[in-house]
Amino acid sequence: MGDGIRRKITVVLTHVFLMAGAMITLLPFVWMILTSLKDAGEIVQMPPTFFPSVWHFDNYLKAFAAAPFGQYFINTLFVTIVGTILTVFITILTAFGFSRLRFPGRDVIFSILLATLMIPGEMLIITNFVTVSKLGWVDTREALIFPWIANVFYIYLLRQFFMQMPDALYYAAKVDACSDWRYLWKIMVPNNRHAISTIAILNAIGCWNAFLWPLIVTNSESKRVLSIGLVRFQTEAGTHFELLMAASAILVVPMIILYLLLRNQIISGVTRSGIKG
Amino acid sequence: MKLKSILVSILGAGLFLALAVVAPVSAEPVTVEFWHAMSGGLQDALVALTDEFNATNGQDITVELVNQGGYGDLSKKLMASVAADTLPDMAQVYNNWITGYLDSVVALDDLVATNFDNYDDILESYRNEGAEYGPIYTIGFNKSIQIFFYNKTQFAELGLEVPTTWEELEAAGKVALEATGKPIVGYDDLFGLFQQYVQQNGSGFVVDGKIEFNSPEGLEALTFILNLYKNGYARLAGEDVYLSGPFGNGDVLAYVGSSAGAAYIQPKDFEYGAAPLPKGPVKGSVPQAGTNLALFAQDAAKQTAAWEYIKFLTSADATVEWAIATGYLPVRTSGFESATYQAFMEENEVAQAAYAQVGDQYFEPVFNNSYDIRSLISTEIETAILEEKTPEDAMNTIVEKVQALLDN
Repeated sequence: MGDGIRRKITVVLTHVFLMAGAMITLLPFVWMILTSLKDAGEIVQMPPTFFPSVWHFDNYLKAFAAAPFGQYFINTLFVTIVGTILTVFITILTAFGFSRLRFPGRDVIFSILLATLMIPGEMLIITNFVTVSKLGWVDTREALIFPWIANVFYIYLLRQFFMQMPDALYYAAKVDACSDWRYLWKIMVPNNRHAISTIAILNAIGCWNAFLWPLIVTNSESKRVLSIGLVRFQTEAGTHFELLMAASAILVVPMIILYLLLRNQIISGVTRSGIKG
Repeated sequence: MKLKSILVSILGAGLFLALAVVAPVSAEPVTVEFWHAMSGGLQDALVALTDEFNATNGQDITVELVNQGGYGDLSKKLMASVAADTLPDMAQVYNNWITGYLDSVVALDDLVATNFDNYDDILESYRNEGAEYGPIYTIGFNKSIQIFFYNKTQFAELGLEVPTTWEELEAAGKVALEATGKPIVGYDDLFGLFQQYVQQNGSGFVVDGKIEFNSPEGLEALTFILNLYKNGYARLAGEDVYLSGPFGNGDVLAYVGSSAGAAYIQPKDFEYGAAPLPKGPVKGSVPQAGTNLALFAQDAAKQTAAWEYIKFLTSADATVEWAIATGYLPVRTSGFESATYQAFMEENEVAQAAYAQVGDQYFEPVFNNSYDIRSLISTEIETAILEEKTPEDAMNTIVEKVQALLDN
């Protein structure tokens, strides 16, 4: 009896705690949406209002009309999809090379790669831009995609997962005359699909939100991406917060959908690190 | 391979003949790339002017506008382009952006001397800014000035006049605070506030890389500023960043901000007015802001074409059209005096307030680390206000930190 009550209290407390956590996490999103429906005066009003006194759905139309968001959306989608596929492909191959294959200087090369993680990305922008412009890639989609498809952090992450696969599995496959290529795609990849999905979604979010690099390498509207459109609402003399929030809401919706679709994969990718197979 | 090159030369010759037949007199078409940071309504106005130029220049010049985000983004992008040798033909710039790459900016003295309509007609403080580094490197374009925006309705209720001096500002602040419990004024730009008050009190600010604001007049100015806040006559922008928001909601009775910010004021149940800034004991001194046009094109044809466009943008007609559409100021005296702008001014208090004080405006000179010093002084003044430091303490800290940056 006493045990039952205690269990119930625990359950209730757990749920209250989780609900509080969920609310804290959700609040910025809700606030963004509510702000996007207020007028400019109400946003800076003191004390602030939670719900808009007048619901301004027209903010979305105004925000949409401020920049060619349709074109930006297509570009962002293209860059994100192609960029993520290439990144995942290269990450898988490289991680396999550094975890399973043995070749002279492997660990030294890997250490050098790891060392590059110490250099902040901002420092590379100008040198990368010089390289890209020498390749004649300024204002092309290539410039948006190729400089970022080799990501040392993802390679490191996936290598750790690959290294946990038992050697015996590899040698057994070898005995059965299975090539490295086949072993990688038939055994390694399916067994680490959670880790790979995590990498894919991290990379997709990164591509989707990238701002400074796309701004620097593109000039024409036909090559630009969504994040650049957000700057339209900020000027030296003020910011149209209601339009900025409306455009931001449009910007994050696809990422939320992607997250909901891959939810299970991500959670097990993050939590599970044991061996399988 | 061979066949291909023969084909190419035949095609080329054919194309050349065709062009020669179709357009025997007109010059080669030239495209000018112009990087700017104008968004929203400002961008619409720039596009309209540029379309007008493209349609009417009669020399087959096409200007391509490229929006590069905000000023910070544009500045970064220009810097990267200098390194990669991919600068556009022209861009909007602030003087402190181009110090690192003056070699890449075309000096305009010859063009101004031989092919420009009455350069002396451009406002003097803009000419001074353009020639800050010796040669003329830039021409003023989207220029704004600080304005005293006030709540006309509430000023009338309280029987307040617009303050024209420091003493009047302080006296009005007292009346307003006692009657409403609200501060009378706020400043968007604390660095500009400090610099203008120091100068209004007759002291230099930073001259030839040397601190001059630590004079008795400078300290007096700082004391006045800190007292405004301490007594509750002034408030900080704080989380709101710009005071146009709190002002529109009636939380502050007036604020000093850029003339370009007028579009962001949404007065709630009151009418707002615009006036010149209060003047100091010695003189008026009002910060100007806004970017200038710089020419980067090295190719002669592009240079000429871009110059035609710059001449167009700064012509009396275009500068007036631009000013009316955006709230920036005409860059020419003749623009201010034109019938169109005078008619506009009659209806527009912001323009009147701007015109009344253009003679007092100054540009912020660039010195070693001036960008960092700007944000440092803003932060230090905010800290002094929040921590209620004595003016002497605040001054000592500012001098020490600014000196370190100047020597750096």
